Amino acid sequence: MNAINRHELFVLDEGENPVEVTEDTKIPNAATIRIAKQDHTLGNMVRAQLLSMPSVLFAGYKVPHPLQPYFIIKVQTDGTITPQFALETACNDLIKMVGDLEGKFKREFAFKDADGATGSNAAGGPTAGGDDPYGGGGGWSEGKDYLDF
Amino acid sequence: MDGAAIVRIRELKKDSVNFVLENVDLAFANSLRRVVMADIPSIAIDMVEIDANTTVLPDEFIAHRLGMVPLISANCDDAMRYTRDCTCPAGCPICSIWLQLSVTCTDDRTIDVTSDNLEVVPGPFGMSMSMDDAPEELTKRGPYFGHPGIAKEHAKWSPCSAVSFEYDPHNKLRHTTHWFEVDERAEWPLGPNAEEEEAPREDQPFDFNAKPNKFYMEVETDGSLGAQEVIMKGLAELQTKLANLILGIKPDLDMIAGGDGQAAGAWGTDGGNWNASETAAGGAWGAATAQDATSPAWANTAPPFGGGSSRRGAASPGRAAWSSSPPGGGGGGGWGGAQTGWGSPNRETNGWAT
Repeated sequence: MNAINRHELFVLDEGENPVEVTEDTKIPNAATIRIAKQDHTLGNMVRAQLLSMPSVLFAGYKVPHPLQPYFIIKVQTDGTITPQFALETACNDLIKMVGDLEGKFKREFAFKDADGATGSNAAGGPTAGGDDPYGGGGGWSEGKDYLDF
Repeated sequence: MDGAAIVRIRELKKDSVNFVLENVDLAFANSLRRVVMADIPSIAIDMVEIDANTTVLPDEFIAHRLGMVPLISANCDDAMRYTRDCTCPAGCPICSIWLQLSVTCTDDRTIDVTSDNLEVVPGPFGMSMSMDDAPEELTKRGPYFGHPGIAKEHAKWSPCSAVSFEYDPHNKLRHTTHWFEVDERAEWPLGPNAEEEEAPREDQPFDFNAKPNKFYMEVETDGSLGAQEVIMKGLAELQTKLANLILGIKPDLDMIAGGDGQAAGAWGTDGGNWNASETAAGGAWGAATAQDATSPAWANTAPPFGGGSSRRGAASPGRAAWSSSPPGGGGGGGWGGAQTGWGSPNRETNGWAT
């Protein structure tokens, strides 16, 4: 009854700021950053990455209320960089890491595809229309339809 | 993170993939798990209109079960628009697909109605349903609208039917406590993943600084997307989330760094470079961070995304250019370029066009 509409969990409201930075008035080099419409998926990952940076003294995040779709992340640095910059660097590092992982997954998938394509196709149900059931468009006849629209 | 991440796919089937992820953080592995479960768009029946239903099942019952039917959703995120983002009043070919189920049982027996009986109705889009064959004793018919969505709205939009996630099969890290009556070893048999790791010695002291490092995951899809697609889209979605966070922090820096006209000029010229750099996966980001290290001024780091904005025809300088690009389009579109190869060839063009 008190829960918000489900789509409001991940769609930004009209004019809502995705990120709000509030600098701490009492602790030096610290900021609290409120990130709207995101949850533990992003929060925990970024927090862990921040903690791995040597210039970050403190990083912690919380989702203050499970029905409110935002989280806050508190960052304190040793003064060599601003908390915002630390967060930005953490995100950049994570993006690079994900990109790297993506390449590795792609290679592994390609390897497996060449390896056991017949075996995996044999397991295919009635929907396995084409030669490459994993490909984006190719084998999925419907996939083509969506792109045709 | 110590060293580069390692991925080893142990088993790949049509609808599931079993892999081992090494040298990543627990938080990161968990984010990957969460993102494949909840953040990947797929298509599911969302709106049901029932013309006639003389079956033993009530309308709501049928509507619910129809919603659970996995519909093939390859490329739906590129090719379709969320209904809430669409300009149409109530469903159009861009944001919905139209299915029809018209089954009649004329024999003296029960028949199975499966997803095979669902027929895709091509345009023209409208409510002009012909009623040529009158409903017999057991008939269900009506148009069903399949819409794209994500699992945060309803679990039926999750492309995954099961995601398993395990680490530390020997419980060396003592993240869990095994309750037992007499013998812990006998009452907690080891799973197959335990073979991947060395069992702790009997006299081994507890290492309280140890961190989980090896994660065993299996992603099983319901058939709406392939296992490979789910993983790759999950990673892309993570990147989009991160990129949006960076975008969210940066406009403030942009305001301080000022230089609207200069920034716009730089973006305009650098727009062309984007094409060249997108062939190398992650190349653009590597460049951006390299610049970050030397000078944190925003104008220097702008180009990778600026390309997107200027291509879109949003020549408005400074912040306006940023707000004109929707978060998904700006981040996701730009990143789409880095993923060429596994998606559809039209992916990029779609990313830019929307």
